[in-house]
Amino acid sequence: MTSTETPGFEVDPALYSNLAGSQVNVELDTGDMILNLGPQHPATHGTLRLVVRLDGERVVAADPVIGYMHRGYEKLSEFRTYPQITTLINRIDWLSSFANEVPFVHGAEQLMGIEAPPRAQWIRTILTELSRIATIYLFLGEMGLQVGALTPAFWGFRDRELVLNLIESATGGRFHPNFNRIGGLKDDLPWGWIAECRTTMDKILRGCDDFEDVLVGNEIFEARTRGIGIIPGELGAAYGVSGANLRASGIDWDLRRDGKPYLAYPELDFKVWTHSDGDSFARYWVRLQETREAVRMVIQLLDGLPAGPIMAKVPRIIKVPEGEVWVETENPLGQMGYYIVSKGATGPFRVKIRSASFSNVSILPWLLRGVYVPDVITIMGSLYFILGDIDR
Amino acid sequence: MGLVEKGVFGKKPLKPVTWLLNYSRKYSLWMFQWGLACCAIEMGAALASPRYDMMRLGVIPFPASPRQADLVVISGTVTDKMAPAIKRLYEQMPDPKYVISMGSCANCGGPYWDSYSVTKGVDQVIPVDIYIPGCPPRPEALLEAIVMLQERIQNEGLGNDELAQRWRGEHVVVDNAYMAARV
Amino acid sequence: MADETPDTPDTPDASADDAVTDASAVAVEEVPAIDPAVAALFERFEAALGDGVVDHADSFGTLVVRVKPDAWKRAAEVARADLDCDYLSFISGIDWMPAPKPAGDEGGDTSAPVQPDTMTFGVTGSDGRLQVFAHVQSTTRHWGVTIKTDVADPAPTVDSWVSVYPGADWHERECWEMYGVDFSGHPKIRHLYLPGEFEGNPLRKDFALLAREVKPWPGLVDVEPMPGDDTEEGDS
Ligand code: SF4
Repeated sequence: MTSTETPGFEVDPALYSNLAGSQVNVELDTGDMILNLGPQHPATHGTLRLVVRLDGERVVAADPVIGYMHRGYEKLSEFRTYPQITTLINRIDWLSSFANEVPFVHGAEQLMGIEAPPRAQWIRTILTELSRIATIYLFLGEMGLQVGALTPAFWGFRDRELVLNLIESATGGRFHPNFNRIGGLKDDLPWGWIAECRTTMDKILRGCDDFEDVLVGNEIFEARTRGIGIIPGELGAAYGVSGANLRASGIDWDLRRDGKPYLAYPELDFKVWTHSDGDSFARYWVRLQETREAVRMVIQLLDGLPAGPIMAKVPRIIKVPEGEVWVETENPLGQMGYYIVSKGATGPFRVKIRSASFSNVSILPWLLRGVYVPDVITIMGSLYFILGDIDR
Repeated sequence: MGLVEKGVFGKKPLKPVTWLLNYSRKYSLWMFQWGLACCAIEMGAALASPRYDMMRLGVIPFPASPRQADLVVISGTVTDKMAPAIKRLYEQMPDPKYVISMGSCANCGGPYWDSYSVTKGVDQVIPVDIYIPGCPPRPEALLEAIVMLQERIQNEGLGNDELAQRWRGEHVVVDNAYMAARV
Repeated sequence: MADETPDTPDTPDASADDAVTDASAVAVEEVPAIDPAVAALFERFEAALGDGVVDHADSFGTLVVRVKPDAWKRAAEVARADLDCDYLSFISGIDWMPAPKPAGDEGGDTSAPVQPDTMTFGVTGSDGRLQVFAHVQSTTRHWGVTIKTDVADPAPTVDSWVSVYPGADWHERECWEMYGVDFSGHPKIRHLYLPGEFEGNPLRKDFALLAREVKPWPGLVDVEPMPGDDTEEGDS
């Protein structure tokens, strides 16, 4: 079913220079061995199968086999109405469901020429940032798991519950909220939510400090991540790697700041963190800072939350006028975009879903060449992909 | 359960021994977690987060291989590409084995009921003991399913014919009178 | 521009709700005046690509350019070299044909939205049914451009972008699988998502979803009574 050879890219060979020494010692050459990780493996939640050809402990070629989670969103979207699609796209990147809805709803709103009222925009921003925290927090814990530290993983799950509680009390769903409506939100925030949110944000900040204490600076962690899995910024961009993975390679690009203005981000004061190393450690570090930044943003948003309605005037049956729109947002995993083609019906004619992990993972055949087997797991962990986001 | 399989008890299983064996079995379930999609996170929350902590129910997660597992939880979307792997995993598990299907996707296809690549229900591939509805089910629901499964295990007969029936993939008949006597 | 886009096609109105709403009249896209930034970007693009450009449009602040099929690869090189678009967002395809069995016919699926049954081609038009389109962006200049090109209907082929953007590999494999578009110059095109024995190109409009044919979704119309309702026999 699967061929085990990796396609050779015709990119300029200079990019592959660090792989030249993959045959270290001819006498000790053990002959190639094909190792099959997955499709189900504890280190990957979800089902990515990775076929690697090994020479001793060194990976000669790697071939990710995806599609075990392919559900055909783009086809299903053509058979559903706009409100039905929001339910569906929740489940693309299942850790940050709310953030998935935002670009789609935003695109439909642009096509219809309506705009959600400011309060709705701000609440959307808050919930997007909360889902960012919930997503990245799991990563911060799981990354410890990849190098053998169990404790952070439990912390990650523990404190993530607090954020999920917040999301649940506001939207009714632990992680498939389906809370966005075209033109606004379903409900306003519940009473007492804001105070609750503030205390939780304090806990999250403290949790970040804990992660930093335990992992960053830890000798084992540093040895396993520093200098491992380096993505050069330019190559990363050409592969379409986005989000924190790209920023960890020194490319200062964040759609919240640099893209077309969306939600309440233009009014916020936040810093885009980058790191120049491009290795696994840099990716961890950037995500850690991003979580803190997200907390700062949530606090700012809570402080400045405008009053007013949460729903614009929208016809009861949503028909979107003819047109095409490309919307992109900075999701926890990277750039998420929808290319919506409408023909004036109640459902879209074509939706192209651009999901972050798909491109983030497509660099794996390049990235894994010449690394040692134990590093495969840390590299894959540090790229942080969600299987549903790869396969859609 | 080798003794039982070979029919040491013959036609008439000894009730106290059966009870003891089942009692030990139900509190040492090696659970193989086959996390496939969003539901896997909820399963992970049930296992790893201190708030739910499934191990207190006598469920032992992370077996080294499916050959060691008594129970598999299929949580998430089963695709046609995945289905052969699931079948193979199930065949590798030693008897008696139990299957919990977690989430609408594993039950019937869920939100992807009309998709061209999703298997509409894992029970087309392997027999299922407990279904958990929900999209996703909360971690508590998984705990409840475990408790229900334990109840079922406790009430299983260990006679030869009864075990044979179980292996045909039919539902185990819960012996109500026995349950009442136990209470 | 958008010369062959007809006016809003009359939608076959199956859901008898004409009195409820007239949403499609809210904001029909009236060939908007091109945003100056987008126009400047297009000028750069056209200067570099020359007569490879067929049409262009400004779609909600994003430049959409349609190029000739033989300029497809050159368009990528131009975008990368002259427009600083170092980031590949996606490559995909689109099938403009209306789905052959529109919902609302006798039998079949009644729950899917009704699409117009005339073939229209979006903002920059198209020669045929199939198109390939891609979006590239600049991480330094913060702009992006969507590039489209037409591909022939039987045996669609277009040049591969792999040597310009290595990330095109998976996107092209996906497009090949979903639309049957062949990418000449791709190192090894093979299935990405679906098992090797899968037949058909799922995203083509004539690929029907079997589950919907067999058992149409009841839709929003007839809601079953809840178990607690006073029905004849409460066999809960
Ligand atoms: S049942 Fe729902 S939550 Fe579970 S895997 Fe399916 S879509 Fe995800």
